[in-house]
Amino acid sequence: MTTNSGFSRHGKNSFIAHFGQQERDVLVNLSEQLVEILAERIDGQPTDPLEAMIGFTGHDSPPDDEVLLRLLPNAYADPVDSSEFRRYTESVLREKKRMNAMAIRSHLLNSDKTEVALDHQTAQAWLGGMNDIRLALGVRLNVEANSHEQLELLSPDDPMRGVYAVYSWLGWLQGTLVDSLMDDVEG
Amino acid sequence: MSIQEDTKEKADTIEDPVFFVDRPWVTIVWDDPVNLMSYVTYVFMTVFEYSKERAETLMLQVHNEGRAVVSSGRREEMERDVQRLHEYGLWATLQRDDQ
Repeated sequence: MTTNSGFSRHGKNSFIAHFGQQERDVLVNLSEQLVEILAERIDGQPTDPLEAMIGFTGHDSPPDDEVLLRLLPNAYADPVDSSEFRRYTESVLREKKRMNAMAIRSHLLNSDKTEVALDHQTAQAWLGGMNDIRLALGVRLNVEANSHEQLELLSPDDPMRGVYAVYSWLGWLQGTLVDSLMDDVEG
Repeated sequence: MSIQEDTKEKADTIEDPVFFVDRPWVTIVWDDPVNLMSYVTYVFMTVFEYSKERAETLMLQVHNEGRAVVSSGRREEMERDVQRLHEYGLWATLQRDDQ
């Protein structure tokens, strides 16, 4: 998969990239998958209005699923401190990540041209969302144990080869957005 | 934890102004094979308003040493930092500074 040149800055508050149909479909699909993975944690919503008000999620233990654990990590090494923190904050974190993924999806589906133009605020959502997708793919590819070189050498019939191609492409795309945004924080 | 600690630590600060100087909690970012080096630098600049130079130094410390202390302060401040870093997908934890 190739995009012409990734994201580039146009003026003060516009970051533009051009997507082919296939790239657009892949990114929409991955955003939807991310939303679905996050939704697996939305069971056990509080029925008590007070608990709902203070953001009690019903979850004070870490997710069993490896991808969810990477997206919603422990904040403390200590399990007791960690679950207390999780009880009050996980729903906020999850909602933020869901909104980021939804922003990518709706932006791609609502623009009928190949051009995607982001303002600074939308770009933040895209950065976070693309990174979360890469984190999820990274767990599936086990990048912790498999080196870049090993993943490059996956055989053509290995289903992980396609996953790695998307993972690499998305890393490159995210990098072009980071580079174009860097001027903002530097200035 | 958060609500009770807030009250407790506020009470501590009134009795003991040195509490601020001690800065007993730290936020640590751990190395991660997925996050791009430029992205981690950008996140440090955005979340903490660090200069590019300082952000890059910290990013390289994470990359080379496996971890780096990226901020320090009161417990609830560090919880806010960790939450923001998790929003960006960085692998962060907080702990009492034992250095």
